[in-house]
Amino acid sequence: MANINELLNGWGFGKQTAIGTANGSAAIWRHTNLNTRPWAKVPVNEDDRAEIGKGHEFPTQLFKSHYNMPTYEISKYASSEFLAWAMSFSLGNVAVSGSGPYTYTIVPALGATNPTGLELPYFSFVQQIRPGGSAILDEMLVGCAVKGWKLSIKNSPGRASAMCSAECVTTGQYTSPSGITLPAVYSPHEFNAGMISALTFNGVNYLSGGSAKQFVSMEASWENNFRPGFFPGSGSQDGYQIQGRFEWGDRVFGVQFVVRVQAGSTEYSNLINLTTGTATFTMTRDTNNSVTMLIQKMGFNVAELGNTDGIVTLQITGVQLYDATNGLVTVTVTTPQTGICQ
Amino acid sequence: MDSIFMRSPDGEVKEVEASVEKLTPLMVAGWIQVPPPKAGSTAAGSKPATPAEEETQHGQH
Repeated sequence: MANINELLNGWGFGKQTAIGTANGSAAIWRHTNLNTRPWAKVPVNEDDRAEIGKGHEFPTQLFKSHYNMPTYEISKYASSEFLAWAMSFSLGNVAVSGSGPYTYTIVPALGATNPTGLELPYFSFVQQIRPGGSAILDEMLVGCAVKGWKLSIKNSPGRASAMCSAECVTTGQYTSPSGITLPAVYSPHEFNAGMISALTFNGVNYLSGGSAKQFVSMEASWENNFRPGFFPGSGSQDGYQIQGRFEWGDRVFGVQFVVRVQAGSTEYSNLINLTTGTATFTMTRDTNNSVTMLIQKMGFNVAELGNTDGIVTLQITGVQLYDATNGLVTVTVTTPQTGICQ
Repeated sequence: MDSIFMRSPDGEVKEVEASVEKLTPLMVAGWIQVPPPKAGSTAAGSKPATPAEEETQHGQH
């Protein structure tokens, strides 16, 4: 019997060299997780009930089928380290500069030029409960990828005002025991909404001037819509078929935000006039820890009048347009952690 | 500002300033970061590296 608080999570901040090659210990960090569940392994069996010639309709035999691994959410307060990790593994094209702190410039990879085609970097995920000779749980899932993320900013105190969760997938390949001695838990450099130092959407600066007190909340999301990775030669684990690749499908970048309505608000006119512009969002903790999301061309799809805690608000759904030169979005993260997605 | 080496989809290697303004158009065009070439050598299959300063000079003409 074990308390869920004993569950230790670690995963690769560095990328695997191949989908089936696990991270080494040196490229694995250990973090706390607001998701209180372990990552379940789900082997699926099938039977012969559909086959005629048995004399009856009932199943008589079981067969191993495949590992149907559920998605798993890593949920964290937003920090420079976790944002660099989530953005790098989900978008795919990463350039790093500096010698401490390190600045990661991240854009969505393109299938035509990405060295791994439609596949993103892979990492390993370790989960342990009382690792050692009588471990309750000690395994390493190999070939994990970030399916998508959500970043939410809201008017509230503390770390909960800036949250990021990453939804992950895995092939079904694992090693148990993991063979990994997890390091001490990492102390990430976390943000909160008070650290927002730039917030301009489509020509409206929500940090200064007449619009300075309009902003209520924002949620951005990314979805890679991975295609199923079962194919001839995809591999097996314990006699069950596993997935051998995660290729992105039609990727979706969503942004919604809520602002208070005031006289002269331009959000409606921006929508009706099909006005587009950049959207920039920056959180700065200190010179070593900051994140900027630069959306290259945002228009508005919906501006819905509503009520947020008694204040009249507009909920804006953005449309992020692809710019021929600068693409869709560039995320820049400065953090003390080296080797993320390297 | 730091500089890093980037490689184009057709193999050209160039040293570029590591600013978001310089990197974004290159990365969107499919350039990826590569390790600095060793002094006096050219990576196999790659075109010679172009120093960042030289590119700036060309841009001034």
